[in-house]
Parts: sequence; C-alpha cells; structure tokens
Amino acid sequence: MSDPTNRYNDHWWRHLVVWLAVCVAVLPPLYVVTAAFNADQTLSGSSLIPRALTLENFKGLFVQKEGGAEVFFVRWFRSSLIIAVLNAFFTVFIGALAAYAFSRFRFKGRRMGMLFLLLIQMFPGLLNLVAIYLIVLRTGEVVPALGLNKLTALLVVYLSGAMSVNLWLMKGFFDSIPAELDESARVDGATPAQIFWGVILPLAVPVLSVVGMFAFVGTLNEFITASVLLETVDNFTLPLGLQAYVGTSYEENWGSFAAGVLIAQIPAIIGFVFVQKYIISGLTQGSVKG
Amino acid sequence: MSQSVRYRPSFLAWLISLFSGVGGLIVKLMMLCILNGITGWAIIVLFTQERVIWALGTTAVLASIDFIYLVPNRFLPAKFILPGSVLLVAYLIVPIFFTINTAFQEYSTGHVLTKAEAIQTNLEQNAVQGDRYFRMAPARDSSGALVLVLVDDSTGDAFIGRRSGLEEIDPTTVEVDDFGDILPPTGYSALIGDEFFEIDAELAAFEVPLENGGVVRTEGLSGAYDSAPGFQFDPTSGALVASDTGVEYLDNGRGSFESADGEQLVVGWREYIGFDNFTAVITNPLVRQPFLRAFAWTIGFAGSTVLLSFAIGLFLAKVIDKQNLRGKKVYRSLLVIPYAIPGFLSLLVFKGLLNDDFGLINKLLPFDPPWLFDPWWARLSVIMVSVWLTTPYFLLVCMGALQSIPTELVEAARVDGAGRWQVFRKVTLPLLMVVVTPLLIASFAYNFNNFNNVYLLTGGGPTTEDQSVAGATDILISYTYKLAFESGKGQDYGLASAISIYIFFIVAAMSASGFLRSKALENMK
Repeated sequence: MSDPTNRYNDHWWRHLVVWLAVCVAVLPPLYVVTAAFNADQTLSGSSLIPRALTLENFKGLFVQKEGGAEVFFVRWFRSSLIIAVLNAFFTVFIGALAAYAFSRFRFKGRRMGMLFLLLIQMFPGLLNLVAIYLIVLRTGEVVPALGLNKLTALLVVYLSGAMSVNLWLMKGFFDSIPAELDESARVDGATPAQIFWGVILPLAVPVLSVVGMFAFVGTLNEFITASVLLETVDNFTLPLGLQAYVGTSYEENWGSFAAGVLIAQIPAIIGFVFVQKYIISGLTQGSVKG
Repeated sequence: MSQSVRYRPSFLAWLISLFSGVGGLIVKLMMLCILNGITGWAIIVLFTQERVIWALGTTAVLASIDFIYLVPNRFLPAKFILPGSVLLVAYLIVPIFFTINTAFQEYSTGHVLTKAEAIQTNLEQNAVQGDRYFRMAPARDSSGALVLVLVDDSTGDAFIGRRSGLEEIDPTTVEVDDFGDILPPTGYSALIGDEFFEIDAELAAFEVPLENGGVVRTEGLSGAYDSAPGFQFDPTSGALVASDTGVEYLDNGRGSFESADGEQLVVGWREYIGFDNFTAVITNPLVRQPFLRAFAWTIGFAGSTVLLSFAIGLFLAKVIDKQNLRGKKVYRSLLVIPYAIPGFLSLLVFKGLLNDDFGLINKLLPFDPPWLFDPWWARLSVIMVSVWLTTPYFLLVCMGALQSIPTELVEAARVDGAGRWQVFRKVTLPLLMVVVTPLLIASFAYNFNNFNNVYLLTGGGPTTEDQSVAGATDILISYTYKLAFESGKGQDYGLASAISIYIFFIVAAMSASGFLRSKALENMK
C-alpha cells in the first residue's frame, strides 16, 4: 500500500497517460470555443489561441449581414427544441401506457406482442426511409400537416418507435413496483386508469426522466430522417441547418459555425447533466450511443 | 435500472397524479375529439379525391378506436396499447412491408409509373407535329362552354373544336375579316376584351382529340395545329408501334418497351421482377463491385471502431481505476466530454479540423496528409473520429464493470503468486467479457449502420476509380441512402430496398446473438 502523502509520485505514469487522453478528448471542443470568440472568422485564420476576441460570430447567427444570406439559425434552433421536447413527452407517454399494459394486465397475445416488439426494434429504421418518404408524400395529399417538409410529419415518424424502443426498460421498472400498491388502490375503488396516473407513474418518475432525456437528446442529434422529410432551409432542424451552413463554405463561415455549435450544445448538455446519475446503470442495460 | 424504488414525492410526481381522475378523463375526451376532427376531415378529403377504399378503411379504423375508448371497463389492455400501436403500424410495420414489396420490383428512375400511365406518357411525349395548321378563335357555345372555331389554313374547311372532339361545320357560316381574324358562326359568341386574359391558361391546355389518336392544340390566341402520336398502341399484341418506322416495341417483362434489336423506350413502369434485385448483387458486376467493397468496409469500419474504442476505454479505465488516485472523478468527467456533446456537432467540427489546407490538425502536424481526399486517409479519418466518439462509452462501461468484479478473486490470484498481467488475463478480463460482450455486439451492430459518422464527415467520398455510387468510405447504409435518394445516375428504389433487406438479416443475426447472451428474455414473466 502506498503512503497517502506519496501517492502522486507513485502514480505519476497514470497521471501522465490520463492527461494525454484528456488532451485528445478535450482539445477539439476547446478549439471550438476559441474559434467562436476568435476575431478572425475564417478557418485558415483560426488558431488555438485567438489573437483578438469578439462576439461578432454570435451576432452573425442572429442578425443578417448586409448583403449576406438570410440567417435561419433561430428557426433551426426553435424547430429542434420544439420537436425534441414534444418527442420526449410523447415517447414517455406512449411508452408508459404500453409498459403498464404489458406489466399489469394478462391478455391473449401478450407474450407474442412483447417478442414481436423486440424483433421490430431490430429492424434498422433507416432502411425504411424510402417507404416512409413515399407514405409521407401520399399522406400530405390528404392531411397537409402530415406531408413532406412539415415538422409534425417528422414528429409522427419519430414517434413510430416510441412503444417498441423503451418497452422492455419501462416494463422492467414497472414490474419492480409492488403489485400490492395497485391492489390496495383497487380495493379503494380506483379504476385502472386512476392506478396508472395516481400510483404507477408518480413512482416511475426516475425511469420516465431517463427515457424522456434519451429521446430528447436523440432527437436533437437525428439527421437522416429529417434530411429526407424536410426540404426547405427555413424548416430545417439544427443538424440539417448547420450542415447546410458549413457544407458549401466551410472556409468563410467557420467562426459563426463554431458559435452555432456552442449554442447548439446547450440543450443536450442540460439534458446530459440531468440524467447523468442514471446513465451508467442505463448503459449496462444495453442502450447504446456511439 | 435500479430495482429498488425509493419514493420521494416530487413536484413532477404530484403533477402526474393530478391526471388520475376527472382531469385525466377530460384530457382523454379532448384528445379523442381532436383525433376525430382531424381524421374526419381526412376522410372527407379522401372521398373528394375518390379514394373510396382508403376513406372507408380510415373510417373503420377511427370507428374502432372510438369504440374501444368509449366503452367503459372493457378492452383495458387495448386502451393502453393502442396509441403506440397505431403509430407503429403506420410508420414502421407498413414501411417494412412496403420495403419488402419494393425489393421485388423494377422501381427506379424511368420506372415509377404504372404500365397504363407509361403507355399514355409514351403516346403523348413522342407526339410529332402534324401537317395541318388552323386559324382559330376561342368562343363560347350556347351553354357557355369554351370551344374553338377552327378554319383549316390550306383547305378552308371549318370546324368547331370541343374537348369531346372535332365537328365539321359549313365553312360559309364562318366569316374571316380583313385582318384574318375569325368571327364565330351564329349560336356561338366571340370573346371580347378582358375575357381573353381570363381564359389564357385554359386555352393553352385546351386539347381537341382527333380520331387518329392525335390532338389539336392551340398556339397563341389565334392559331392551332394538329399533332399526331409518334406511336400507336396495339391492344392485341400489347406493343407500341412507331408511326414512322413501323418498329414494334414489346413489353420485355422488366418494365420497359423494347424493340427486337434491344432498343428501350425511356419511359417504363414498375414491374415485379422476382429476385433480380437480390441476385444483381452477385450477378451484375456494376452492382457487385461497389456492394462488396461497401460491405467489406462496413465490417472493417465497425469492427475496428468497436475494438479500438474498447481497448482504449479498457486501458484508460484500468489506469484510472486505482484506489486513492488523486483527481479520479475530475479525470472521468473530462474524459466523458466527447460523449456529452451531440455527435453530429463533433462530426461537423472534425470535418473542419481535418480540412486539408486550413484545418487545425494539419497546422499542428509537420506534414499535410490529404485527410478527406485520399481513399485510405479518408478511411483512417472516419475510424479515428468514430473512436474518439465511442471511447468514452466503453470507458464508462469498463469502469462500472471493473468495480463489479469482486476484489477477493483478484487478491486470491495474487496470493497464489500470479503476476499483474496474469491476473488481468486470467481473472479480470474473462469476468469483464461476460458483462461487456453483449455491449460489444450491440455497439458493432450500431456502428454497422452508423450513417452519421460516415456521411457527415466524408459524405461517403472520395469517389473511387470505378466512379460508382459507393465512394471509398461508404458503408452499406449510406450506399443504400445514396442509391435511393441522391444518386446522380438516377435513383433505384428496388435495388436500395433489396440491399436494405440484406442489411436487416445481417443486423438481426448480430442482435440475436447479443440478445441471447444478455439473457434479457429471462425478464419476461
């Protein structure tokens, strides 16, 4: 055992290795921070330590430059936030409804239903894009709000997996809530709906927040479905917008892009902090990112 | 999730419980009303568009939903499962069937119409201008409908052209004034002044069908010409016959009209072609080569990303996982930063960092590798960035797993004289792998379809020597995406769907093996 006063010397190589790793992990994000405040707005003029600081890059996201292209950053940000919040809310709601049924009721096809939902989950959603595109195209001819280039259509497509993706996680949690609680509520005359709202859901707040936050962050990150369904730049979500923003002219928009990246991270990081305590146990349960 | 429930009445919990009575009932009824309103509107629109089957089907679905929710104390499980199921069926299960159906069809650029539409389009598009020119005056008949008064420029015959056909009239009833303008016969009223502007669009689209299959179209406000179809449709043989050369174009069974010497008409139709899309991956060298290259790279990319991330994550976890190492928590928080940032942002940032001329990485390096412009450097870039994104995940997993390994086992091995490396190889690693293997498989399956990491960084490029749709860093899923949505060589939904189904089987096999190991099925009481 090492002497506590001496432990820094003992483990110097550990610190060295970790510091190297920290550099690799932290430098790119740090560089974005400096680029966002760098007075030289081009990629070639950017450096780790800016020569002069400015807030112009942030201003460029909100105010149209004279003679410059129209700025949609606020719209992208708002679209992303609205759709992420709504998706998180409805994902939790739909998932909890289904999990409650599979956890508390015994009905025909229950076992098959659960297995089926598990299998469905394995079908990568991306592969359905052609079909989803055509369905949304046709639906739009009848209900315009569910057609192409509409955020509502995107939301509905996101929600299609709400039941299957989190069913097992939520049902597992619901199973761990003692059935005696339901029982006593039922003796007091509560209906199944009242037990769901009044007993189960308040007790399930931890799992509800985890599922909601994962849905929230996942939506903020989603690129491919949005790129297929949304067509015009004013309706884009943040990933699409930022990609389009730098896609053509990386060189001259670099400073504003970095500023946009900084702002775009805020919701996801708030979400991450909020669920951090649940994440490690959630990770080992098999939900995957990256 | 933690198995024990610690109940702490929070604001959120209190808020939720408010719905457990009258409030919930009101919300439920309101949602039903909204649903009925929107769907009812859709049904009306469907009827007006004469899609009767769809309208009836939607009505039936809506009626059963209403029935299930409005009958108290029955269909309880259905009440809870229905909202998710409706969305699941509409946007997940139907698309799956659609994808399977499409995979068996020739469905690509030039093959999007039905056969009847394709015949019609071929007849219209290939029309050739006829030899007759008419002086024309738009007029209204006694019922107010728009007609054309026509005088054949060469013969002087006069006609009334309607949408239903051409009717010959006595040429003497039609007067031609000094300017060459036609005055309509009695019973028809000439258009005057502003009326011309109002019918402008209507007139341009006005077509008078002829008996030979051609049409008379207007030209400007005072002329018209006839056009004859370039093809005749022969209903007995089902062939299109070219009017000028007499060449027969027959249905070739693959969604095209084809002549005896192999010439195909541009406009074809969707046609079932059996397993051809699936076998094209093996038999057609133009498809086989990019497919196999994308397939090999997908496995290489996903495999190396997962293994490298796991190795580095485990190494760092072992380094940090030392009792009373100073700053352990700070290190962990700093190392997890790449995981906390939305992936798409990191990818776009790296695209700038790896920029050839101006990127930070090339500024720091003494030489300038063409990171995103050379096939092998681009592949390296994709793997490096993916490892950067994925390592924190495995770091967290390994730190958790290492802590769960009982210290008695390690100490027992040490007492028996095992070295550090031996303990790691023979005790720690096997125990760790029990926990981590399903996650490795899941991560591999995830990266197998990691569209973002490829598409946002390199766009699948750079293009390879054979100039195919699949670039050097295209994995199967991005290759499929390009085939269906953005190929400069025309889109091929059929082939894209077939490849999608291959991907499904590969991923399902991987998921199944991971799933069986994770014993999740035991939870199913």
